[in-house]
Amino acid sequence: MFRSLSPAIRAALLTLIVGMVCMLLAPYLGWLQKWPASMTLPATEWIGAAVTWLVELIKPLARWGAWLLSYPMGWAAFILIETPYPLVIAAITALGWHLGGPGMALGVLAGLCFVLFSGYWVQGMTTLSLVMVSVPLALFAGLVTGIVAYRMPALRRPIQVMLDVMQTVPTFAYLTPLLLLLGFGPVVGLIASAIYSAPPMARNVLLGLQRVDPEIRDAALMNGANSWQQLILVELPAASRQMLVGMNQSIMAALSMVIIAAVIGGFDDIGWAVLLTMRKADFGNSLIAGMVIVVFAIMIDRLSSRLAEPRGGHSRKVIWGLLGAGAVMAVLAARWLPAASEIDIFAPLAERTNSALGQFTANHGATLNAIRNNAMIYLLLPLRIGLDHAIVPVMWGFGWTSAMALGYFGAAAALAGWLAWRGQILAALMLLTAAGVVKLGIAHLPWPFVLFAAGALGWVASGWRLALTAVTLLGLILIMGLWEPAMLSVYLSGTAVLICTVLGGAIGLLSAVSPAVWRVVRPVCDLLQTVPLFVFLIPVLMFFQIGEFSALLAICAYAIVPMIRYTHQGLSSTPEELVEAALASGANSWAIMTEVRAPYAAPTILLGLNQTILYAFSMLVIAALIGTTDLGQQVYLALGQGDVGLGVAAGAAMAMLAWVADRLVQAFAEEKRAALGL
Amino acid sequence: MIQDRPAPAGAPAISCRGVWQVFGVNARASLDLALGETGGDTAATARLLRQRGLIPAVQDITFDVAEGEVFVIMGLSGSGKSTLIRTIARLIDGTAGEIRIAGEDILTADARRLLALRRDKLGMVFQHFGLFPHMTVAENVAFPLKMQGMGPEQRRARALEVLELVSLKGREDSFPRQLSGGQQQRVGIARSLAVNPDLWFLDEPFSALDPLIRRQLQDEFLSIQADLGKTSVFITHDISEALKIADRIAIMRDGVLVQIGTPDDIVLNPVNDYVREFTRDVPKGRHAHVETIMTLPASLPRMPDDPGLRANMTIDSALAACMSLYQPVPVWGANGEIAGVVKPSDLASALTPDEL
Ligand SMILES: Nc1ncnc2c1ncn2[C@@H]1O[C@H](COP(=O)(O)OP(=O)(O)OP(=O)(O)O)[C@@H](O)[C@H]1O
Ligand SMILES: [Mg+2]
Repeated sequence: MFRSLSPAIRAALLTLIVGMVCMLLAPYLGWLQKWPASMTLPATEWIGAAVTWLVELIKPLARWGAWLLSYPMGWAAFILIETPYPLVIAAITALGWHLGGPGMALGVLAGLCFVLFSGYWVQGMTTLSLVMVSVPLALFAGLVTGIVAYRMPALRRPIQVMLDVMQTVPTFAYLTPLLLLLGFGPVVGLIASAIYSAPPMARNVLLGLQRVDPEIRDAALMNGANSWQQLILVELPAASRQMLVGMNQSIMAALSMVIIAAVIGGFDDIGWAVLLTMRKADFGNSLIAGMVIVVFAIMIDRLSSRLAEPRGGHSRKVIWGLLGAGAVMAVLAARWLPAASEIDIFAPLAERTNSALGQFTANHGATLNAIRNNAMIYLLLPLRIGLDHAIVPVMWGFGWTSAMALGYFGAAAALAGWLAWRGQILAALMLLTAAGVVKLGIAHLPWPFVLFAAGALGWVASGWRLALTAVTLLGLILIMGLWEPAMLSVYLSGTAVLICTVLGGAIGLLSAVSPAVWRVVRPVCDLLQTVPLFVFLIPVLMFFQIGEFSALLAICAYAIVPMIRYTHQGLSSTPEELVEAALASGANSWAIMTEVRAPYAAPTILLGLNQTILYAFSMLVIAALIGTTDLGQQVYLALGQGDVGLGVAAGAAMAMLAWVADRLVQAFAEEKRAALGL
Repeated sequence: MIQDRPAPAGAPAISCRGVWQVFGVNARASLDLALGETGGDTAATARLLRQRGLIPAVQDITFDVAEGEVFVIMGLSGSGKSTLIRTIARLIDGTAGEIRIAGEDILTADARRLLALRRDKLGMVFQHFGLFPHMTVAENVAFPLKMQGMGPEQRRARALEVLELVSLKGREDSFPRQLSGGQQQRVGIARSLAVNPDLWFLDEPFSALDPLIRRQLQDEFLSIQADLGKTSVFITHDISEALKIADRIAIMRDGVLVQIGTPDDIVLNPVNDYVREFTRDVPKGRHAHVETIMTLPASLPRMPDDPGLRANMTIDSALAACMSLYQPVPVWGANGEIAGVVKPSDLASALTPDEL
């Protein structure tokens, strides 16, 4: 009887049973919900000791490297900050002209003028100078890694795993060991950003090289190229488009990381300006500094993405003209114009924003609070600690009684029964499981149930290997003693992902149906994806203060984009002949959407979900700055206390969670794609 | 040590002996094992290899290509044609067997010797052109010369010379993407001719082109071939192309050589249904010659009529000539009345297309 059920139903049934047993036994067996401290391995201490040992070992070398790097950093800072600003503006505008013609030049000019007037010119240039040094490092490292991975197939797998790890380990986690290694100073941010931004380059180099037409490769050989000539004269140039795409991604990652590195403080760059003003609740200025970051991000993104496109010859004369004008202005500036650091045209604006914001919160504070509290009480808390703990008279006006429990589970069972009667056995089982999860709260889920569920998902999605890996990784988190913060991370990111899926899916669907909506949604998505994570914190803090709700909003704002994009892309890229075939069979547009487009788009949408999960995880750490209690917070705390062991362990735990989620969703997407024969 | 061994006099341009190309892990060991188990039987070995998850793409192939010959390889998709010439050119290492180019063992040649061979002796044209997208036409054509170490000016001069040969003068500074398919393939041909190779490999060079351009390039190929007298190995799917250009044709099936022979042989004496299927739609009279079907009986009969046949006439023309011996015959209308007369020789010559 059991054998005759499909694997998915069998797995779901077993999971449900394990969950029910755990739930029934939990009150009597405390260790089901809380991993006993006596069983916890002192992994953080071990890791701390190991990393410290390693750090001490390579410290002299690292410090020497840092000392070496301080030279180019000094030069870059000197060039950008000490050069009269008209000349810097003229030079970058000229670059814009060269890469993208008049439109680009105008945009760059406007952006730079904004930066100048904002009063954050010096801070901005400091950040840029860090980027200027870290990017070449990252590009070089990425290029070499990519070529090695391409040329030595034996190393390809390990390198790809390493790149995955480098990108899933949360950004702050890099900083703690680096801090120990290099001591305070901008070099830490520099190296962290180089490490963080090398993987996209490496990936794209590898991808580009792999995509080179094999015929071209053979042609090079047949024409008598040796293997170096083949690589340098033929393969790399043929892969250059993809490599330039990688360059763009690398540069953006570097910028983002340099700004995040401001949390270690002590360096007067633009990230620090945002952080400082945010701490002082001087939101007018945080907004302006944040906008400077956004302007930089957009400018750098547009400029570097132009690199990958063929260039129409824009007149050289204009370049010289611009530089000449810049030089003249620079000479004048020395006499007549104020120094960059003295310009504060926007100061009154910041003042006014602050007072307007003050007024707004004074007038609507009650409403904002109500939004926040309601969301907390009716959504977040129940999900986090379970219905029975969240429903207390103080908040809900009544308490959780066993009659309610009976009613709740009765309703769930009735609904599940109806679903099962309709033949949707899998859906019925999942509904029951979900009802149990909500009753218990994600943070209070018994660990055997979580491990079993992850294993079951892995088994259904791909097989024993994935199931085993997922269970092993989660088990590691458990015995490292990081289970509680880890489940809080799951809760926070899970809630965010849930919201993003529903909301992002709906927006994506709307965009797919109506081109007009897409025309509005698309630039917003573009913008949200270009903005460094850090900036998302400013607006949520302005309105909702520190706390989990603000963190959730920030995560959602960032993580919703891939869901929208992939849903839209999946739904609107159905092959025309499929749609026509459905039309010819008499389907209306709703039927086409549900019967043809949605199933066809499923793998793409699943990939979007995957991206959304990864985005949510990367934002978790940043969100720690505004008050969360999860793993991200542990990483951040470790940074503050210089606790390498905790920093690395918590960072690794986050990476493991992200990895498990990523592989599970990817495996499902893969299965769906295979089922569609794509 | 590298030494340029002179080819033994009369050595074939290419000589393959028992060549195997097996894809998969541990191919060489698996092949040896399987050969041992089956006692060297090709078909059984291939079956065994397939069962073990390997792909025997080329199986025990033996043939010679003579100096100056146009040797055409045909076969269905996936029958191992490309793999065979890639093995001969040692773009991939053969799994077993012996391949000699002008008498020199190519499978054991070291990297430097191989480089030298490719730089001086071998040229290849690719099915999808294989042009370097980031180089201009002239740079593409000059690339092999650059590899030889020729200076920039000489390179360009030679490149222009070859481009003229394929009538592409004036397009030397375009990029490949700016050219039509036919023009791109001309660049590919020019590039493979730049170093004036002795041995010319062409892997379905014209398959991606439309029939008109294809015919034009075939003619160009023939005239270049006649002028420069190269030894060519030419892969094609198209039997009429093969019949038009080949001195000899080899037909492959699932990695095995099924038949080698002159075009007449292939058309008139296919060894099995597979080969017959290839030539089924070929108008045999147009491609086969009288000499392939004539006999020389012990005693010659009395022959008063002589239409004047010659041994190298196509069968169609011979037939038309023979028909001229007949008187005109009547042609009847729908109602049984005489509609006209026709000469049998006119009937025959109406079927014979203008000489290509
Ligand atoms: N690198 C490789 N690895 C594994 N199998 C290969 C490889 N190259 C070719 N094969 C296999 O060898 C067989 C012969 O392929 P090949 O490309 O030589 O065919 P072909 O006769 O040139 O076909 P086509 O006319 O389509 O070009 C095919 O089954 C192919 O899948
Ligand atoms: Mg082929």
